[in-house]
Amino acid sequence: MKPFRCFARLAFLIIIFVPCAWSAPASGEYFVYFGTYTGFTYMKEGLPAGGSHSQGIYVSRFQPATGDVSKPELAGEIVNPAFLAVHPNQRFLYVATEDPLSLGPDYDHASYVSAFAIDPATGKLRLLNTLPTGGTSTCYLSIDKSGRYVLMANFGSSSVTVLRINEDGSLGEQTAFMKHIGKGKDPSFQSKSHPHSIDVSPDNRYAVVSDLGVDKLFVYRFDAATGALSPDDPPFITAEAGGGPRHFVFDSAGKFGYALKEMSGFVTTLAWDPSTGTFTKVQDAKTLAPDFIGSSDSAEIAIHPNGKFLYESNRRFRGPNLWGPDTIGVFAINPEKGTLSEVEQVPPGGTMPRNFGIDPTGSYLFSANELTGNVVLFRVDSNTGRLTQTNTELKIDVPVCIVFVPTNK
Amino acid sequence: MKRIPALCLAIAIALTVLAVQAPAQGKNFFMYVGTYTGFKYIHHSKPFGLGESHSKGIYVSRFNAATGQLSEPELAAEMINPSFLTISPNHRFLYAVSEDPLSVGPPLDHSSYVSAFAIDSTTGKLRRLNTVPASGTSTCHISMDKTGKYVMVANFGSGSVSVIRVKEDGSLGELTAFIQDIGHSVNPSIQTEAHAHSIVVSPDNRYAIVSDLGLDKVLIFQFDAETGKLSPPGPPFATVYPGGGPRHFIFDPSGKFGYQLSEMSGIVDVYAWDSTKGTLATVQRAHTIPHDFFGENHSAEIEIHPNGKFLYESNRRTVSEFVRGIETVGVFAIDPKDGTLSPVEQTPTGGAMPRNFKIDPTGAYLMTANELSNNIVVFKIDSNTGRLTKTGTEIKVDTPVCIQFVPTDK
Repeated sequence: MKPFRCFARLAFLIIIFVPCAWSAPASGEYFVYFGTYTGFTYMKEGLPAGGSHSQGIYVSRFQPATGDVSKPELAGEIVNPAFLAVHPNQRFLYVATEDPLSLGPDYDHASYVSAFAIDPATGKLRLLNTLPTGGTSTCYLSIDKSGRYVLMANFGSSSVTVLRINEDGSLGEQTAFMKHIGKGKDPSFQSKSHPHSIDVSPDNRYAVVSDLGVDKLFVYRFDAATGALSPDDPPFITAEAGGGPRHFVFDSAGKFGYALKEMSGFVTTLAWDPSTGTFTKVQDAKTLAPDFIGSSDSAEIAIHPNGKFLYESNRRFRGPNLWGPDTIGVFAINPEKGTLSEVEQVPPGGTMPRNFGIDPTGSYLFSANELTGNVVLFRVDSNTGRLTQTNTELKIDVPVCIVFVPTNK
Repeated sequence: MKRIPALCLAIAIALTVLAVQAPAQGKNFFMYVGTYTGFKYIHHSKPFGLGESHSKGIYVSRFNAATGQLSEPELAAEMINPSFLTISPNHRFLYAVSEDPLSVGPPLDHSSYVSAFAIDSTTGKLRRLNTVPASGTSTCHISMDKTGKYVMVANFGSGSVSVIRVKEDGSLGELTAFIQDIGHSVNPSIQTEAHAHSIVVSPDNRYAIVSDLGLDKVLIFQFDAETGKLSPPGPPFATVYPGGGPRHFIFDPSGKFGYQLSEMSGIVDVYAWDSTKGTLATVQRAHTIPHDFFGENHSAEIEIHPNGKFLYESNRRTVSEFVRGIETVGVFAIDPKDGTLSPVEQTPTGGAMPRNFKIDPTGAYLMTANELSNNIVVFKIDSNTGRLTKTGTEIKVDTPVCIQFVPTDK
């Protein structure tokens, strides 16, 4: 009887505390990697604008207990490391080298993907190899749950590609290629398909692609044995016309998906059925104030490790040289329905927050402000979701991506 | 004293060159035939005759270049739409594209694939090693570099070219180069975007020539056989007559001239190839369409006889939706000094829609692959005049679209 009661109590404890397991790594130290544009400041209607003095990927040490961040150092020299992804084993970093300097007639450069080994002592990056992504203006990459494949969205050439990851972390052969055809409502951004992100589902059996050009979320079956993608049935769901799906995130329970639309600024809640790989629309949450006139240019979306809050960034634009007011929107997630209710919209401490990152302990949010060249730390209140700007600010030229890796301390 | 080693060297070089240029010793070959398995043909990126091909993949026949005899074709490997084939320099491996235009159309376009096969030197059967995506759509051409370490594919649908590494065991490895062409040309029905149609390396393996039907350009990339990379991304190029639609390109055996066949215009552009600078300079624009032909021309394949004296090109012609034109293999004599072409004859191919043909490695015979009439017709080549004579030998293969030879004599 007694052992059983102990077991029952243990089970009870597990049930209570497993959802809060995110709080476990609170004490560790992290490397924070910053991806940048090295050749320009930002992309405007498919063309690069402005300059940059960045030389590649930068790294800082970060203590989530205190919020202390070291001065960023160059971790790996590379052209336009626009998006970064960390291997599940935390030993490798994968980088999409977007090369939009070459966009436009008559030729379009290939984008490249590079594999780096992370030095667990110094955080410095050692290049393993670099391969073509199989597309152009590659703006996003992610790793599947098994750590054996890297998935990429090729904004310029309307395709998504999957490459194998070898045992040593280097990149191998291509295992999937899909091209999207069509156009959307907005002739300036949607004259053709522009896949903007690709992420696997929590069970690693599906991949979801946000296509900004055709206003669709494509769902592919993902075969982790071969790395192949095949169209799901139905192969896509359609977003609002002109919305421009950009980034997508599953909630930690795997019950809901959230699609951020760049142009409309909508965050759409979708109920996810993992048995059939289908979405059902639940809610469109608006991130723009009703009296705002201009474009939203929403960029990044992330869910707090406790699963209670959703964050999304907005690079607002009211006309030439009229930036802002840029914000990071904070939304509370209804745990049953997955619906969002706005908590607040917080200025990001700079201009053009293309990206932000919440540290794995959920204590801080780092906003990456591309135009002002700064990364600003906010304290996250894990009960209310609210953000409080700290005095910590890092100067990094054209920061566009932030990821965290635990150090060996 | 000094002259003797120099002379020896000269003789050695001459012998080497002779050895390289001498036709294959043996007379026995496997003849591989690529086919479309899902439809009869493609027009303006759309498949027609869906379900009307009964082909199952790649077929193999035994060919005797002494007698011109062909054995009954057998299925060598099951595969979807093996529309173009290439053979490794060591004759041990065959690479095939799986062109997949059945999947064309909004909102999704499936990838085409490239498969590696090991050739059974006794039976000619193919054993699949592996299959990887071509990193593009409607992939219509495949070739190898001279080292046999890379395959190169042209992706018509997505307007790109890819280079893929070949591993020691003949299987396919990682992508080493990817180039997306961008632009358009004058024909609104087919040239609204880039359509890479072929990619071949130069005789010295230092350049890759890409014929882009959509751009009316012949792009000249530098090829690095160490890394498999193509550069620069905005390469120099030669042009063709606007609307011509460059399809296939071939170097002559001397490596001095390049010949570009344009699909719609039927023009063969003759270029002088400067292998040090990597440039193509226009020498001649040779027309292949008879003056009294009124209809639609789609020139397809171009080949040069192993003796370097004659050029052959095939022409698919329609007079109307219901009537095909006189479909021919055009024969041209090559001027050895300036590379220019003069017409010899236009020979009916013995079938309909000659998308492909091939001259056997000994130069004795030419086979036409007639896609619509499902036959491969054998012609005897007069190596002095270049003229073609039908031999009466013909085999049936459903929807044949590519022919390659592999020597079988040890």
